[in-house]
Amino acid sequence: MASETDHSLGEAVAARIERRWATLSIVIVGVLVGMATYIGIHQATMPQGRVETADPKTLHLSGEFVESNLGSEMQADGSVTVRAIGQQYSFTPQCIVVPAETPITFRATSADVVHGFLIEGTNINTMLVPGYVTDLPVRFKAPGDHVMPCQEFCGIGHQGMWGKVKVIDKAAFRDMAAAKRRLTCVD
Amino acid sequence: MSDQPLFSLRNPWFGASVGITAAIAVLSAVAGLIWLPLAQPNLKLAGVWDAICSAAGVPRAAVQETGIKPDFKTSNVVMTSEMLTKVNQVSIGRGATLAQRCAICHGPQGVSDAHSPNLAGQFAAVTYKELNDFKTGARVSVVMSPFAAAMSDQDMKDVAAYYAYLPRVPSNNLDTGRPAPVIVVTGAPMRNIAPCGSCHGDVDNKAGSPWLGGQSAVYIKAQLEAFASGARRNDISQQMRNIARQMTADEIDQVAHYYEAQP
Ligand SMILES: [Cu+2]
Repeated sequence: MASETDHSLGEAVAARIERRWATLSIVIVGVLVGMATYIGIHQATMPQGRVETADPKTLHLSGEFVESNLGSEMQADGSVTVRAIGQQYSFTPQCIVVPAETPITFRATSADVVHGFLIEGTNINTMLVPGYVTDLPVRFKAPGDHVMPCQEFCGIGHQGMWGKVKVIDKAAFRDMAAAKRRLTCVD
Repeated sequence: MSDQPLFSLRNPWFGASVGITAAIAVLSAVAGLIWLPLAQPNLKLAGVWDAICSAAGVPRAAVQETGIKPDFKTSNVVMTSEMLTKVNQVSIGRGATLAQRCAICHGPQGVSDAHSPNLAGQFAAVTYKELNDFKTGARVSVVMSPFAAAMSDQDMKDVAAYYAYLPRVPSNNLDTGRPAPVIVVTGAPMRNIAPCGSCHGDVDNKAGSPWLGGQSAVYIKAQLEAFASGARRNDISQQMRNIARQMTADEIDQVAHYYEAQP
């Protein structure tokens, strides 16, 4: 008789513990999913929304990555699109000029191997993968100069591969854009 | 308890755990595949199905916008590292005949003292690319342009194969004891200059980069200056202009004389 009571008591304890652990695991999963959603919405991480392809061998023949179309373009809605390519062992354009306090879209790709795309002093850090277009919405708070090193080992000349990003005043950029349709700060 | 089947909907534990897991999966999928993509206005999604496809990573070709076309001729050669690397005896034979008209400047054995490039032993892809660029007008030379204009694509491949087949001959200034300049070995990382050797053969070879050993210093210098000033623009996507622009006159001089002295 006594053993019967012990048994049902043990069963109740086991059920309670199991329910608590199950609840805890569900909460952990929920927090993780919520965290991913939160940082996604607030763009703390910027997973690319689209997968776009571009043939690395023919970038120079046609499409948006031909030499004359690279650089910063002022859009009708006031935003700026910057197009660039990474190749062994330089970025083209070598110096990118963008306005501060303006929505900017970086569109870049690689003409040969995987390169890195990192702008020092910002959270911009992604990869340029041959065959795919990297599309990144960003915003610079204040004018200033940043270096843009390739942060992905891309070959024996990798250490020499970096570009510059010049963030300038919004009005100054608008003046420049009035004179030329694709802007760079390559001297 | 023990006689009750574990995987059964009548088991409340089973029902609850499967139900909750499925609910989390569905909620996460809705958040990741629909809510998050739609929360990014710059994606310009056409609807829920478009959002799901793009978030799931269905690839699509980049939109061919009407960008700015170049106002000068750019190289139209599609460069790959396998390009013209297969030895073809017929092609070499045809090339030998065709190359007779090149001999005045480039020498009967592909080597000359005329400050025109030495072609013996040059990578076939390199010779082919330059001929093609002369033909299309991406590279301009009073002497070369008319020659190239008269050549067919196969002619250019044959001539290139022939010169690649000829053995390299060192220049009269051969001096293998000459120390390599810093710019050749380590480049100038602070000025975005990779070592010359990382593309031009000493350390590694990038497709389309010529072998420079034994090349006339006068010629190398003239080309680097032309790249730096933008007078020569047939390098694909500015790969050489980016480098030459950053080089000092002194460095240009050093590499020109260094490579001339190499085999
Ligand atoms: Cu790189």
